[in-house]
Amino acid sequence: MMDTPIEKEREDELEALLEVTPALAQKRRSQARIILDRFLRNRTATIGASFLILLFLFCFIGPFLTGHTNPNQPNLLAPDAAPSLAYPFGADDVGRDLLARAAVGGQVSLLVGLASMLVAILLGTAIGAIAGYYGKLLDNILMRITDVFLAVPTYLLLFVLSASFTNGSVYSIIVLISIFGWTTAARLVRGEFLALKEREYVMAARTVGAKDFRLMFRHILPNAIGPIIVNATLLVGQNIILESVLSYFGFGVQAPFPSWGSLISDGQGQINTDPKLVFIPGILIFLTVLSCNLVGDGLRDAFDPHMTER
Amino acid sequence: MGKYLLEVQDLKTYFKVKQGYVRAVDGVSFAIAPGERVAIVGESGCGKSVTALSIMRLVAQPPGEYKGGSILFEDMDLLDQPESVICKIRGAKIGMIFQDPMTCLNPTMTVGKQIAEGLRLHLKIRPDEARKRAITLLEQVGIPAAAERYHSYPHQFSGGMRQRVMIAIALACNPKLLIADEPTTALDVTVQAQILELMNGICREFGTALMLITHDLGVVAGMTDRVVVMYAGKVVEEAPTEELFANPRHPYTLGLLESVPRLDQVRDEELRTIEGAPPDLLAPPPGCPFMPRCAFARKQCLTMPPLDPLPKNEQHRKACWFDITDPKVQEYAERRRAAMEALKAKALETTGNKTVTS
Amino acid sequence: MGRYIIRRLLQAIPLLLLLSIFMFALIHLLPGGPEAILVNPNMDAEGRKALRASLGLDDPLPIQYLKWLANAVRGDFGFSFFTNQPVSTVIAERFPPTIELFLLALLLSLILAIVLGTISAYRQGRFIDYAITTVAYFGISMPIFLLGLLMQEIFSRRLQWLPPSGITTAGMSYDAFNGFLDHMLHVAMPMLVLAITFTARWSRYMRSSMLDVTKQDYMRTARAKGLATTPLLVRHALRNAVIPLITVVAIDFGSVAGGATITEGVFAWPGMGQLFLRSLDQRDFPVLLAILMLSAFFVILSNLLADILYAIMDPRIRYS
Repeated sequence: MMDTPIEKEREDELEALLEVTPALAQKRRSQARIILDRFLRNRTATIGASFLILLFLFCFIGPFLTGHTNPNQPNLLAPDAAPSLAYPFGADDVGRDLLARAAVGGQVSLLVGLASMLVAILLGTAIGAIAGYYGKLLDNILMRITDVFLAVPTYLLLFVLSASFTNGSVYSIIVLISIFGWTTAARLVRGEFLALKEREYVMAARTVGAKDFRLMFRHILPNAIGPIIVNATLLVGQNIILESVLSYFGFGVQAPFPSWGSLISDGQGQINTDPKLVFIPGILIFLTVLSCNLVGDGLRDAFDPHMTER
Repeated sequence: MGKYLLEVQDLKTYFKVKQGYVRAVDGVSFAIAPGERVAIVGESGCGKSVTALSIMRLVAQPPGEYKGGSILFEDMDLLDQPESVICKIRGAKIGMIFQDPMTCLNPTMTVGKQIAEGLRLHLKIRPDEARKRAITLLEQVGIPAAAERYHSYPHQFSGGMRQRVMIAIALACNPKLLIADEPTTALDVTVQAQILELMNGICREFGTALMLITHDLGVVAGMTDRVVVMYAGKVVEEAPTEELFANPRHPYTLGLLESVPRLDQVRDEELRTIEGAPPDLLAPPPGCPFMPRCAFARKQCLTMPPLDPLPKNEQHRKACWFDITDPKVQEYAERRRAAMEALKAKALETTGNKTVTS
Repeated sequence: MGRYIIRRLLQAIPLLLLLSIFMFALIHLLPGGPEAILVNPNMDAEGRKALRASLGLDDPLPIQYLKWLANAVRGDFGFSFFTNQPVSTVIAERFPPTIELFLLALLLSLILAIVLGTISAYRQGRFIDYAITTVAYFGISMPIFLLGLLMQEIFSRRLQWLPPSGITTAGMSYDAFNGFLDHMLHVAMPMLVLAITFTARWSRYMRSSMLDVTKQDYMRTARAKGLATTPLLVRHALRNAVIPLITVVAIDFGSVAGGATITEGVFAWPGMGQLFLRSLDQRDFPVLLAILMLSAFFVILSNLLADILYAIMDPRIRYS
């Protein structure tokens, strides 16, 4: 190959060559936007989230829109009615409107699931933050307490407690379920705090005079929020299952409030003749918990996509 | 067998991503003779590791794909063979050691067993025979108290020792070729020298050819017969080691050599760098990949130059249209450098955005 | 190692003590008492008081607790309020069916979880992975009792393959072989229900663990040695991937009390879970307390087991 002889170059040809050198300008999306985008790209997670939204609308707004507001009104003229215009889900053996029972039952189950999650997360985060941040003796004590709660056989104690303490009201059930739900969050938050409090930016903030409280909530917590949110979402699903088990065995929310679990226990006697009494609340529980799991896993992947594929 | 032990011809290894193909290795050709020590140098992401993995067919098949070319080892095209044949070659004819010794050993298996595993697999010897040989190997790579250390686990060794174990594993079956992918990058400087000396010694003693992948030019100088310079998935220059250091003929090689700080440098002189960043391998610009950063670039660089030997030196090949030692070419390069500086200054002042690069 | 175990066991004792106080108090806060259930509703107040006194329910709580504790450490959990049998006997009767259920489910789930998780990870992104993951999600999202009801409906009523509940077919007497067969038919569904819930969880852990392991550098080293896929997976990947799984399994042991109770409730399986539900209804304090304590002890034991297993299987812990 012969080296190409050089010619006199015109300035604009030089310019033209310089154009080939690309200028890189970076557009930065906000952190939250990045996470949201990743979540939305996950099809199953998005389907789960959509279902949950629709479910909420169905349970809380549906009855008012469709006029099926009364879950307890027996109608002995239409026992075991098949699905029809008047009774879109049919009716149970004493003629109660199944649609209303499913929706109102859903209100109870969802309310209990969410509220108990909130209480558990708040409690767990507070305990975990204090334990992880202050360490040493306080951490030890709090972790021993957590161990006690973890060593307890959850369902068994829930049965005993609900027989002792509750009057069947929704609030008491919420409190009950939260009692056992906070431990995972506490461990999680404690772990994050233990790790994050050694980071340089925390020490930097402290040298500028930030007090403990501020450090914990303005500096450390926002960075730990990812796993907390994931845990919270999965916890809602778990709590809904817990509540349904309690109601099924007669320990949960009592009449007149229906709950999906109690609907199933009411209907299981007729499982031969009228399976939809069990089937409808059953499917609702299953789909709700499934959606919570899908959304929770989707959030986990959105916050920390360490897998390059899927 | 032909003249060469290993002959890579126009190898293309791409990775399939949603937006298309990342061209990690895009037409690479070089050869290694028996017993020869060849270095592959280039910056991170230039494709040198992928080249090595391709030779061993260790590239994960999705998303990786061998898109073209051939890899002739002892006159057999490795890209054409079924997996079972390749399994017999790996470890037995070609050995490989990797960059990070801390993670390269199975934490739940003793070090001795990991060496013996290869021996038993390829040489079909009895367990006690394999154990004896493994202990010998441990001694050869400089592990003291080899017989006891046979039963130790990887986490009980330091980084340097682990890399010695890796060498023992790779050379256990006396392969014809040893591929070392940045073997010392993760080690302390003092340990680096020891490991390199060890590798050198063993390769010389057993006549093993060495393919050393590194971005550290200092390592290259002491250890190799020939150097292959890669950039953005392509080979840009190739020469015997001394010749390359004395007489670089590709702008990129020049830039690399100039960027190495020297002891005899004037104190306040700025360190020289190569401006810019490597191209996006998903959609590489047409022509020579180095063009956007090259001070010597001209319009014809929009066509990729072939890798051809120098007119006076068969051993020395370069992929560049120009003779960069020609004073007229150098004068052009100065003018272009000045114009690029001016462009950069203008961009800085209009956008104030320091991420603008040229 | 031995010292570590002893230390953990010693640590467990104050925990058990605390738990015993906690649960004792809880049980005695149950409204009503056994006398409300046991008795002839026509019994007058005098009779009821006498009954309470005879059951020791009149002593102040702390005294009751101490009395109970003194006996419990000797293995004497008192007498059932209901049947007057020693609690230990009552529980011993109920123990084997529950253990049988648990062990069978455990074995099946462990094997299934490892196999399915490995396949799922090895064929990540392909159809089989999606299929297995879907079934796993199904298992996690379904409350146990619902799964039990569904299985009863399908396998007992519709297909008539399996008996719906109980441990034996009432009114039949079998010879040894047929009796065994009958027993197997009865244990199948409750065992499957438990197994499905375990497998769903564990297979996902296994999958994620395998995915992590196969991405590790030492897998590449092993391949570079010339190992083919199967020995690679079995000798190198599995060994490392099951370690975190085994610890999850051991911890899940602890929660088996709840799952077993629900399953036994749905299938009328005569184990400890069913005994618990009945005792709760009857306010049979001694039995309740004994079961709770046993379960708690089991949880603590399984946590300890998890730690020990982890130390055995991971040389980094063993030799550090």
